[in-house]
Amino acid sequence: MARASIKKPSTFAQYRTLLAKDLRREFRTKEMLTAMGIYALLVLVVYGAALSQTSNQFDILQMAAGLLWALVVFTSLLGLNRSFAHEQENACLEGILLVPLDRSVVFLAKATSNLIFLVVVEIVVLPLFYFFFLTTTQPADTWPLIWLPLLVGTVGIAGIGTLLATITVNSRGKDVLLAVLFIPLVFPLLYACVAASTVVLAGGDVEGVFGNSLLLAGGYDVVMVLLSWVLYDYVISA
Amino acid sequence: MGKDGYRSPQTGGVLDRIAPVVTLIGALLSTAGFVLAFTLAGPVNGATVNGVEVIGGEMVSNQLLFSQKIFYFHMPVAVTSMVMIGFVAYFGIRFLQTRDAAWDERARIAAGIALLFVLATMFTGEMWERFEWGVWWTWEPRLTTYFILMLLVFAYFVMRASFDEPERRATFASVYGIVMFIDVPITFAITRIVPSSVHPTIFRTDSGLSPDMLLPLLLSLFGMLCIAYGLFRLRLRAQELDERVEHIKEQLDEA
Repeated sequence: MARASIKKPSTFAQYRTLLAKDLRREFRTKEMLTAMGIYALLVLVVYGAALSQTSNQFDILQMAAGLLWALVVFTSLLGLNRSFAHEQENACLEGILLVPLDRSVVFLAKATSNLIFLVVVEIVVLPLFYFFFLTTTQPADTWPLIWLPLLVGTVGIAGIGTLLATITVNSRGKDVLLAVLFIPLVFPLLYACVAASTVVLAGGDVEGVFGNSLLLAGGYDVVMVLLSWVLYDYVISA
Repeated sequence: MGKDGYRSPQTGGVLDRIAPVVTLIGALLSTAGFVLAFTLAGPVNGATVNGVEVIGGEMVSNQLLFSQKIFYFHMPVAVTSMVMIGFVAYFGIRFLQTRDAAWDERARIAAGIALLFVLATMFTGEMWERFEWGVWWTWEPRLTTYFILMLLVFAYFVMRASFDEPERRATFASVYGIVMFIDVPITFAITRIVPSSVHPTIFRTDSGLSPDMLLPLLLSLFGMLCIAYGLFRLRLRAQELDERVEHIKEQLDEA
């Protein structure tokens, strides 16, 4: 006698499916990526105006990492706001929650997709930033290491941002609320990442500052992502 | 509610009965600390400056700092604010465990009192900066992290205001209260992590504080903690009485 069997998909399969859904949706509509990309370009244009009255000898290298991180934070705010907006249409989120899966899988999938979009935007923006502001300068030899703080910082931003975006998507005035909640919370991470990025770009005590800052940023990432992961169940079920 | 042996936290018990007395003791202790800071604790040398500089409208080379007395108020208030934020996180965890609105109410009140102490810390810190360091603002590590702590407490209340449903608001506020607490150990430890910090490391076995300085400091500290406790219980009690009055009003309207 043939027995009907229903195989429960593994947690990893659920994660992959959710992630693939987000990626497929984004690469079809390109809604978030175009918005974030254009916004980032516009921030660069604003920087151009802001720095236009400075002299040629202006020490842009010391400021470059800070400007870059300001760009990353504001661009990620824009993207995070959008990441749950389309889940609300047609009650998509309720649909996902009807599936008997661990809620933290939803968090991990969403955080990963946000991370991927942010990284894509950063890959586009970084050369543009160099093109507009740094071609006349001589970055330190260690500059390729900048990918490390960028990655560590972006992981933290995606992790905390996903938790907070889930909270704010239900609120009144969600764009403002996300910024109010998000910026103070990522500040320590931002501080450490700016320190690490500046030292590889402009040179200096690379071993001391770079390692310590990166360690701090990494520790903050671990704590924040774990905490978001644990608390996500409560947030998404509320 | 649901779980075996779980009792919703009550007001009106012994914790409330001692609250007025504890507040009074706190007021007396912190006043004693304040007075002793001027009478018992000796003056402290300011940071040495190169040659002579104008700080706070005075020519200074190495004056005995009168402004250092702020310390006996500043540090106890700061520690109390951090303790209260710790309680916000604790009540948040309790709420998520039990889904009992009483815990959320406690978290909100604790956050309110934390805000009061945070503002007091920022205010005294600002006076300190102006007269001790000679600047209005600097992005010094502990100053920055504490400033962020203040913004987090602001954000906590902004967030509460943007949700209407009590259950949802309570859940989100609890989660944010817990996440917000991460900045407290960072602020606390930043003077150890970043040694360039201007703030001294006070909590250590050889804190460099002589007994005549330690006594007023500890008196103020315990006084402030007592005041925070008293304010918390009294505010909580007032809140419950408020709700009871509202309830009675509704019943009278119906009758």
